Amino acid sequence: MTSLSAYLSHMLRAEWIRSFFLVKTKPLTKPAYFMDYPIDTGKRCTHCFSCMMICPVPDAISVLMVGETEGEDIWKPVLYQGHCIRCGLCVEICPERVLASGDIIERVRQDSTYMQSTFHILVNEGKCAGCGTCSIACPVNKEIDPILASKGTTTSDEVIMRVKAGVMRVLHEEKCTGCKTCVLHCSYQAMDVARVIECLQYESDDETSATNEGG
Amino acid sequence: MSLLQKLKNSVRKRSIHVSFVDTASCNGCDIEILACLAPRYDLEQYGIYVHNNPRDADVLLVVGAVTEQWIDKLPMLWDKIPEPKVAIAIGNCAISGCVFHRPGSYTDPPVSKHIPVALSIPGCPPRPDEIIQAILAVAPIAFKDYEKKL
Repeated sequence: MTSLSAYLSHMLRAEWIRSFFLVKTKPLTKPAYFMDYPIDTGKRCTHCFSCMMICPVPDAISVLMVGETEGEDIWKPVLYQGHCIRCGLCVEICPERVLASGDIIERVRQDSTYMQSTFHILVNEGKCAGCGTCSIACPVNKEIDPILASKGTTTSDEVIMRVKAGVMRVLHEEKCTGCKTCVLHCSYQAMDVARVIECLQYESDDETSATNEGG
Repeated sequence: MSLLQKLKNSVRKRSIHVSFVDTASCNGCDIEILACLAPRYDLEQYGIYVHNNPRDADVLLVVGAVTEQWIDKLPMLWDKIPEPKVAIAIGNCAISGCVFHRPGSYTDPPVSKHIPVALSIPGCPPRPDEIIQAILAVAPIAFKDYEKKL
């Protein structure tokens, strides 16, 4: 009986009940500088596919045509949570500043850095079956030759790559934006796009000339 | 709803027992879960208690892309948890496999393929406050009036 009364007197204390039902400190929130999922700033996307190129994770970002106004297509980068690792590289590389996350843009402006990239398309001839899936999937090819986008065949030599006489030929490597769509769509894992990215810094006194500070 | 039932539900809201399992992650999400236990975030003030044994827990936090060795063990572990129970997938690996989900890798993501997942927290890794908010959001819904659902 004494133990029961001791138990009740202990449990029915106002202080104990308050501390049981109420949280002592408010849940912490994210600080302003935290690099969260990139958000759309509303600026116009020029679909240069730089964000898709720099993204280190498969399927985390894709630039999609979402609509049309006054005869002009509206493009938007779409992020997939559960794939995105919040590294912020897409925010840093975007030339139009379409995406924003934390204080990345501010820091890039402070340090006056920019990124420069070149791409090399590698086709493993042993694995390649010459099916042409990569050339149909390529978003740059689709824009150069609209017939390729609608019908899946092309005779144009202006495209980045296409099947010629049963063999995949890379015709214009310099047009590649490095978005890796061909790599993801290849059924035989024969495609590879080597991306060489240099992070450069403008000289503090001269904003136009750039010095190589290593990649 | 009777007064007793209301009291039961409000107590259940403040008595959430979790256990966590790492099915091959890079350790980033594990560190974020451990940060929840530290004084800065202090899980126990919200009524969340961590157990090492899944038999003591109601909420299973699953971390990592499921490796081949975990494929048969994860459902076994899930079966050991008494009802009512929920599983929360933490991090990109548990949701999509992320960088580990490539041809030729020895993983079998996502976790929802192997056990029923109530909630997933994206991020690589998710912040401790995101984890705490998710647990606090799912637990009252999952455990409310559970004896009437039986």
